[in-house]
Amino acid sequence: MKTILKREILNNLYSLRFLISLALLLGVFLAGAFSYVKGHEAALGKYQIARSQYDEAMRKDAESNATNLAVTMRSFTLRPRDNAFIDDAKEKYLPNAVVYSAWNVFSFENKSGNSNPFLNKHDDLNWAYMAALIVSFVTLIFTFDAVSGEKESKTLALTLSNSISRGAVLFGKYLSAVATVLLLLLPAAGLNLTIILLAGRTPLTLALVVELGGFLIIACLLAAAMAAFGLFTSVVTRNSNVSLLLSLCIWLLFVAVVPNSSTFIAKTIYPIENSETIQRKVDAAFDDLNKNAPPGSWMMNSGNPFLPQHELRARIVMKRLEAEKSIRDAYYRNMFRQFERTRLWTALSPISLFQYSSEAVVGGGYPRFQKVWNDLHIYQTQFLSFFKDLDAKDPKSPHWHNPLENVSTTRQKVAIGTVPQFSERPMSFGARLRSALPYLLVSVLAACLVYVLSYILFVRYDVR
Amino acid sequence: MIFHIARKEFRNNLHSARFVIGFLLCFVLIPFSIVINIVDYRDKTIQYKVDADAAEKAVKEIRVYSALRPEIVLPPEPLSIFSRGISGQVGNRVKIWIGDNPMLAAGKTAAGDNPFLGSFFSIDFVEIAAIVFSLLALLFGYDVFTREKEDGTLKVQLSNSLSRSRLSAGKVLGILLTLLPIMIFCYLFSAVLILFSKSVTFSAFEWGRIALLFLISLAYLAVFIFLGVLISARSRSSVTSLVFCLFIWVFFIFIVPNVSAYIAESFVPVQSRDNLDRVVNDMDRDLTSQTQERQKAQNLPTGISCQWCNWGDDGLLETYGNSRADFEIMLRKITISEPLRIEYADRKWAPQKSYLDSLIRQSRVAERISMISPAGLFRVIAEAVCSTGVRAHESDMVQARRYRETFIDFLRNKNVFASYRYITAAPPETFRTEDQLVEIRSGGEFKTVREYDEWAAKQKDRFAAWRKLNKVTAYGDRPDDFPFLNVSDMPRFQGRSKTFASGLADSVVQISVLLIECVFLFALGYVAFIRFDVR
Repeated sequence: MKTILKREILNNLYSLRFLISLALLLGVFLAGAFSYVKGHEAALGKYQIARSQYDEAMRKDAESNATNLAVTMRSFTLRPRDNAFIDDAKEKYLPNAVVYSAWNVFSFENKSGNSNPFLNKHDDLNWAYMAALIVSFVTLIFTFDAVSGEKESKTLALTLSNSISRGAVLFGKYLSAVATVLLLLLPAAGLNLTIILLAGRTPLTLALVVELGGFLIIACLLAAAMAAFGLFTSVVTRNSNVSLLLSLCIWLLFVAVVPNSSTFIAKTIYPIENSETIQRKVDAAFDDLNKNAPPGSWMMNSGNPFLPQHELRARIVMKRLEAEKSIRDAYYRNMFRQFERTRLWTALSPISLFQYSSEAVVGGGYPRFQKVWNDLHIYQTQFLSFFKDLDAKDPKSPHWHNPLENVSTTRQKVAIGTVPQFSERPMSFGARLRSALPYLLVSVLAACLVYVLSYILFVRYDVR
Repeated sequence: MIFHIARKEFRNNLHSARFVIGFLLCFVLIPFSIVINIVDYRDKTIQYKVDADAAEKAVKEIRVYSALRPEIVLPPEPLSIFSRGISGQVGNRVKIWIGDNPMLAAGKTAAGDNPFLGSFFSIDFVEIAAIVFSLLALLFGYDVFTREKEDGTLKVQLSNSLSRSRLSAGKVLGILLTLLPIMIFCYLFSAVLILFSKSVTFSAFEWGRIALLFLISLAYLAVFIFLGVLISARSRSSVTSLVFCLFIWVFFIFIVPNVSAYIAESFVPVQSRDNLDRVVNDMDRDLTSQTQERQKAQNLPTGISCQWCNWGDDGLLETYGNSRADFEIMLRKITISEPLRIEYADRKWAPQKSYLDSLIRQSRVAERISMISPAGLFRVIAEAVCSTGVRAHESDMVQARRYRETFIDFLRNKNVFASYRYITAAPPETFRTEDQLVEIRSGGEFKTVREYDEWAAKQKDRFAAWRKLNKVTAYGDRPDDFPFLNVSDMPRFQGRSKTFASGLADSVVQISVLLIECVFLFALGYVAFIRFDVR
């Protein structure tokens, strides 16, 4: 077994495909490193501008009065991740900002300018992309002729004429392919990491080391799954050309067809109501509230906070907020469900499984958004109780809570230092593992299943 | 002789597993992409009709010119079924404001109503064709010489009076003849699916463009056939040739298009949108203060007092039931504010254009880098042929900006900025004095404003006092008392022209480059085969 493994690895290392793969990976990882350093710096610059505007607006509102601070809608933007060179998790195409006030978490948005609409959709040249595309391809290239190729060159019969089991031969080839791919990935990734660390923007922390280790493990799993598929195509045919074609078909299916049919699946299998219908529902709820509102509810005169109509208006505005919130929150839940279920469909592809595991490992993408979304809901309740406490202490306030207007609650200034601030906390490693685990399990299961199938076919394989 | 060799090559290929698998690959992937994109086009058409109807209704159901802000709804491009280009990433609605030049189209993108779906990529016919045709061309071409060399038949053939030129031409022709039926099948199958689809109707223009796309696909296929032949002629064995071909395929098809966009994004930065928004907001604030200053210089009050008011973006002010004096104040105010608003739109356009240019520049750089790969070239040409690229969108936006100018001229010619019709549908002759209004609304209880004010000052319940003035609703207090504005003479948006040649001029260079690549690779392959060691 050891001899087979050693022989196979050496064969792979001396092969032309290894050299070309290495050159390709080094080239792409090198380009990825320089592009990342440059692009990340620009992204951070833009984020700093947005963040300083956010902080400045909050400070000004606090200086004007506490009600202004509470009712103003703000957009909390997610910071570009420092570990995005491992996997950007397509964050530039996901909502990257959450709109909230003390009264509600209203919505999420993909802040305009996050990605150029005139640029065709593309993946960043990060490790995850390179693993998903190149590593998966290279693994198939190293395995498609593992059996059929040896049969053609008549070495398979010779090998099996020795006292070695077919299982050991197949497993040796399998392990050697995975090991070869790792030997390709490690120097390229190392080069990429060195450049990024030398650029000085990304510190090497313990968390980053754990993330890198986690990524390499799931990259190994991807290689293992793809190697199993490569071996499978090698044992179902007698001709390496046909094996190659089958391998390429499988690869195309996993890389191009399954992931790219997601939008179609989402809209066809899991349709959700359109935004116009939701707006109509909100309008209908508002109309209903307006019809039943006592006369004078919409009277506006901001001079005196104790005017009785302010109480009426505060009540109706609060009811409107609650009505809209219940409609929109249900709609958002449908959006999340549609997205999550569609991802389950695309989990048919080991490459998609790898991508979903990878985004969980780096704490980015959809799991990151979900955490920020949920955390902001918790923060909003804290912010609201802070504001209500302030209002309750103000004798000049009529305490008529109006979530949209700066009229009938406290007009006292508030020191910005005392206001609870929201800051994004990275996902804990436990949460990341929980998020990645289902995908990892399916990935392992798929690799084992296909490998066992390949083994059964290899046992029955005519080596002559 | 060339045809004889080509026929033999064709027959050999036809019986090979790669032909069957290649054919099956096309048989599965092409309908898959076409059906997905037909469904997408159908959805976009439905949305377009909803949006267009809403836009038409919005224009017809207004009573004042300050509310007249037409919205252009761009129809979906039928050829997006073949090449989506950027059509799924940009909106299709352009609101015409007098205070802003149209910069980017709004509306739904391919993600539809769920922004999370924006993280899913989609694939179209052109991308599938770029992947599959190139793969097949390389798989048929990689061993065209090496296989025969390994079998020992190449030596035998060339020992006869057969020239190398004829042999290579015959083999290339044979591969082309093998792949041509697959390509024709793909296009015919797509055409049949479109013909049988109820939601798509193609005009002669679209069919003509598809024929053009077919010819470009042929050139693209030829590039990869010649590349495969060249690699075969430069390799010592089929395995070496195959490995080279496959890596070149992955590099050209998957890596270059992606790398080009990423490198452009990293090294050709676009300006910060937040920064632009800040600059524009500052200008808007400046506009407000300038307007207030000028109004103050004419002794006009800062606030607005109105009985029924609807105000909003871009100077929207619709008001009813006011006194003549209030109406006059409002008219004098808009006479100052609206021309200034138009002037500021032009000022804002400078930073907006700079931002827009940076977006376009970045996409151009990505496009140029992607042209290293024949697949990138093919995609850019296909986007031009299908009118779904950046240039087609730019052209739409230029038209939209011109339309805005026409619309403003229309408003100016009607002198609406000095007309009451800008803010109210009530004819000026129906305007009343404040005293008259107090008398009518209080049901005759008070004859003058002064009388009412004296009474109201003594009241503790301000709300009850306010209600006294709302006892009777006078004619002209509500917009429903008046008919909608007749805007039949308003100029309508004319989309870009759809002639066969329109929009293709920009892609002439790319088509030429593709053809030059063809000739160059063929020549290289020929020279390589002349020098090929057949032993």
